[in-house]
Amino acid sequence: MIALRGVSKTFDGRRTVTALDNVTLEIPKGDMAAIIGPSGSGKSTLLNLVGGLDRATSGEVAIDGQALGGLADDALTRVRRDKIGFIFQFFNLLPTLTCFENVAIPLHLRGWGRGRIEERVRELLGLVGLEKRLEHLPEELSGGERQRVAIARALSVYPPILLADEPTGNLDTHTGADILALIHDLHDRLGATVLMVTHDRTVAASCPRTILLRDGRVESDERTGA
Amino acid sequence: MILLRLISYQYVRKHVLRTLLTLTGIVLGVAVFVGMHTANQSVLFAFEKTIDHIAGAAQLQVTAGETGFEEAALERVQAVAGVRVAAPVIEAVAHTNLAGQGNLLVLGVDMLGDRSLRDYDLEGSEEGAIDDPLVFLAQPDSLIVTKPFAERNGLATNSHVMLNTAEGPKQFTVRGVMRAGGLTSAFGGNLAVMDIYAAQKMFGRGRMFDRIDIALNEGVSVAEGSDRLRRALGPGFQVDTPTSRGAQFEAVASVYKVVANITSVCALFIGMFLIYNTFAIAVTQRRAEIGILRALGATEGQVRRLFLAESAAAGLIASAVGVLAGMLLARGMAGYIGAFMGEVYGIAERAQQVSTDPRLVFAALAIGVTTSVLAAAIPARNAARIDPVKALQKGRHQSLGEGESRRRRRLAVGAVAISVICALGKTGPLLYLGYFVTIIAAVLIAPAVGVWLARMLRPALSWLAPVEGALAADSLIQAPRRTSGTIAALMLSVALVTGMGGIARASYTSILTWVDTSLNPDMFVCATEKLTDRSYRFPREVGDQLRRVPGVAAVHEVRVGRIPFRGRPIMLTAIDVAAFHSRAGMPPIEGDPEGMYRDAAAGKGLLVADNLAIIEHLRVGDVVELPTPGGLLRLPVAGVVTDYSDQQGDFLIDLAVYRKYWNDDTVNVFRVYVAPGAKGPDVERAIQAQVGSRQRLFVLTNREVRAYISNVTDQWFGLTYVQIAVAVLVSVLGIINSLTVSITDRKRELGVLQAVGAVRGQIRRTVWIESLTIALIGVLPGLALGALQLYYWLEIARRDISGYRVDYMFPFGIVAALVPVMLAAALAAAIGPAEAAVRGSLVEALEYE
Repeated sequence: MIALRGVSKTFDGRRTVTALDNVTLEIPKGDMAAIIGPSGSGKSTLLNLVGGLDRATSGEVAIDGQALGGLADDALTRVRRDKIGFIFQFFNLLPTLTCFENVAIPLHLRGWGRGRIEERVRELLGLVGLEKRLEHLPEELSGGERQRVAIARALSVYPPILLADEPTGNLDTHTGADILALIHDLHDRLGATVLMVTHDRTVAASCPRTILLRDGRVESDERTGA
Repeated sequence: MILLRLISYQYVRKHVLRTLLTLTGIVLGVAVFVGMHTANQSVLFAFEKTIDHIAGAAQLQVTAGETGFEEAALERVQAVAGVRVAAPVIEAVAHTNLAGQGNLLVLGVDMLGDRSLRDYDLEGSEEGAIDDPLVFLAQPDSLIVTKPFAERNGLATNSHVMLNTAEGPKQFTVRGVMRAGGLTSAFGGNLAVMDIYAAQKMFGRGRMFDRIDIALNEGVSVAEGSDRLRRALGPGFQVDTPTSRGAQFEAVASVYKVVANITSVCALFIGMFLIYNTFAIAVTQRRAEIGILRALGATEGQVRRLFLAESAAAGLIASAVGVLAGMLLARGMAGYIGAFMGEVYGIAERAQQVSTDPRLVFAALAIGVTTSVLAAAIPARNAARIDPVKALQKGRHQSLGEGESRRRRRLAVGAVAISVICALGKTGPLLYLGYFVTIIAAVLIAPAVGVWLARMLRPALSWLAPVEGALAADSLIQAPRRTSGTIAALMLSVALVTGMGGIARASYTSILTWVDTSLNPDMFVCATEKLTDRSYRFPREVGDQLRRVPGVAAVHEVRVGRIPFRGRPIMLTAIDVAAFHSRAGMPPIEGDPEGMYRDAAAGKGLLVADNLAIIEHLRVGDVVELPTPGGLLRLPVAGVVTDYSDQQGDFLIDLAVYRKYWNDDTVNVFRVYVAPGAKGPDVERAIQAQVGSRQRLFVLTNREVRAYISNVTDQWFGLTYVQIAVAVLVSVLGIINSLTVSITDRKRELGVLQAVGAVRGQIRRTVWIESLTIALIGVLPGLALGALQLYYWLEIARRDISGYRVDYMFPFGIVAALVPVMLAAALAAAIGPAEAAVRGSLVEALEYE
């Protein structure tokens, strides 16, 4: 379960900017929620805090009851590695590595053996429909295919939490719909908790729960029953 | 100018560390250039100052090389019309027993005539003894010292000083103290004057003078005077102005100067690649900025000038810092170089003042700026040619275009072909062209070789560390522009070290072979502690005394000294050639191995060291003309042999010929062979007891002489350690530079890695592996280039610098030590960038574009 209790995040520069202001949220295991809101409302900041990419200025972020605030950097990385999968708007694939190698990275980082990695990578790329693109470089793939590779990489150890930051934001409507369908399918089949940041109302509407942020605060938190 | 302030200054402010790293390359190069030259000039200036002060009012000096000449020459000089004063001089360096004072330059003069040439400017009214030169002469223990020397050692008139003489330590009495100024500043103030006959005795000169200082009558020009003197004295004597001795000093140390120049040129050359690298990266990173400028109306010329102006400004600042650093460096080096000159060339000098010539400062600034502008020329041209539309598009720009790679490869292949042809040709200009083209080929092909090697290494690196290794290799494969300058700098550094190391190894091996065959006596009896120091000499009788020592089987007398040959001071070695050849020999290069010794022993020929023969183009049968006090000595070359006695080579003649023509039977060194069954230490003790009690002498065992030669060789190659240190340092700076840029370029990539679970240690390892891979990629072609460079250097050194013919030997030992050093340096260079990579904000990294 993901829990945020009184979480605030401010950025200090010439003037202090409050990105999140006393946010309290609970996302139960297996839930699928969309976070929406205008630019600068704090959507991505919230996702970064949940994913352990950033630290809250105050309040507490906890994953399965474990508070992230007190963890050292490497411990935080291990939480990320074992429990969280990321899907980025711009895919963030490593351009020099093949599809196979990109998906294999998190597994290598965990120290898995080569045989086990190969088996898992083939399984994952099969899951996202790219079993025939193993040796292709990212630049040889379409946008949708790149996002599929990114999704396969995010699922590498079947993490219990999947965080997606505008997963369809860089894709055309048709491809975006395909990717959304894939995420839903994976959520249904794998039972992962999915938290998805989007500015696209259609994407948000496809999720059973929608959290609206404005000026760093939760303005509404609704279940649509989708 | 406005662009420089608005665009360039902002970029520099944003990349302070990288700018500093780049400038350091030029700073180091200029510092070494200024330091070496300033230290050299200071020693030379001190030497010239000493000559100038000692010369006093002398307009001309008559010498016969280092060997000196008979007293009778004085009368011939005095008889020449137009000579007002002719004062004989003995000038030698004595060893004091005073703590911390070291050497004392002793001037032996004839007080009766010398004061018309030199003003001794004695203190107070204590001139007593000197007022009447006859009183000074009557007391052979009289000594005049300078005020600084007296003050340093608490001496006053009538104080006693112990000095080492040819007959052992003797007490001298201070009978005058010269006031500070003029003569007293010669040799750093460590100067003493004594009567010339006392000096002859002190240094074992027999009845010979070192030179005669001359003042001419009014109305007689220097040219006229020297012409008359030359005609009167014949070709065996040199008549020169005192300042020309400075030129001789320079000539003796010419090889050293060449090496010193190579050091600074190499440092600057390597630094040039750092600048090239930085500007190449800057152009790539500032594409968008350049695109905006071009879109706003900047012309190609304006963009090119912007980058060139940046490089000129950077070069100027770095050169200024380099000049200051060089001045500091020179202070430390002047003492070392002074000692080195004494050890290697037997020329003692103390540089008291280290000051930089304004012309040198200007030259250093000009060289620094030119190097910087040259290095930035290609990136500036590339910047100017950037298409504004493409520049504003996002994407990767670090890769080399296929067209550029192909052009580079074609040029490199052409250059390699020319280099091979030149290497086979072996003639003078072809050799230099070949070397130049080899370096160009290496530099052109470095990026392609770098990518090729990175591709080769990728599987191994991926196997060793699947993520870190693959990413490190990919980083190099995808962005050769980022690392090509560093790889070229590394390659050149490694080549430099390999070349220098190769020369050192080949030289050591050749010298040791020569020592084995030529310097095989059991012991050497010398008049001074150092073999190269020729201040003191033995009278001939010492040889007979040595022969009478029990356990001594043979004694060979050796007389050495520099004589002028074709305008250069060349070493002449005189020995009983038949006796020498009966026990030793020198590896023959040209001529009948037995006949050459026979002819030389019979006085029908001379032997020439191989290096001198090469430099002076002497072949067997050529007639050599040697100026001697007894007239011109004409001898055919009987043989060319390997002889490392002197860096400029030497002539070897029979001792009987020498004695006949120079009328000098003094001896510098006795080569002593111990009889079978006798024990070396016993013989040494007996020599000290029987001969050493009456005569100042030093017994050096064969082992000690070998150690001495090895030490002198070490000192010589000590300079190369400076080069190696500079080369390695500049390369390390290059690696830090490349990695810093690489980390910035790969910010997002490293951020993604951390986002998907890489812990800090794994990120650090990625950077470390990249650094090690850069080092390895630079080292491998560097070794290949070093192997080629060594060939060219040996050929060039043999032909035009030292003339030494040393066998080609790849320095495997040095390479075995160098590779881990370079890898360790690369690892050290990666520490900072690796920490920077793990310390940044992950969110920022993922948003970085």
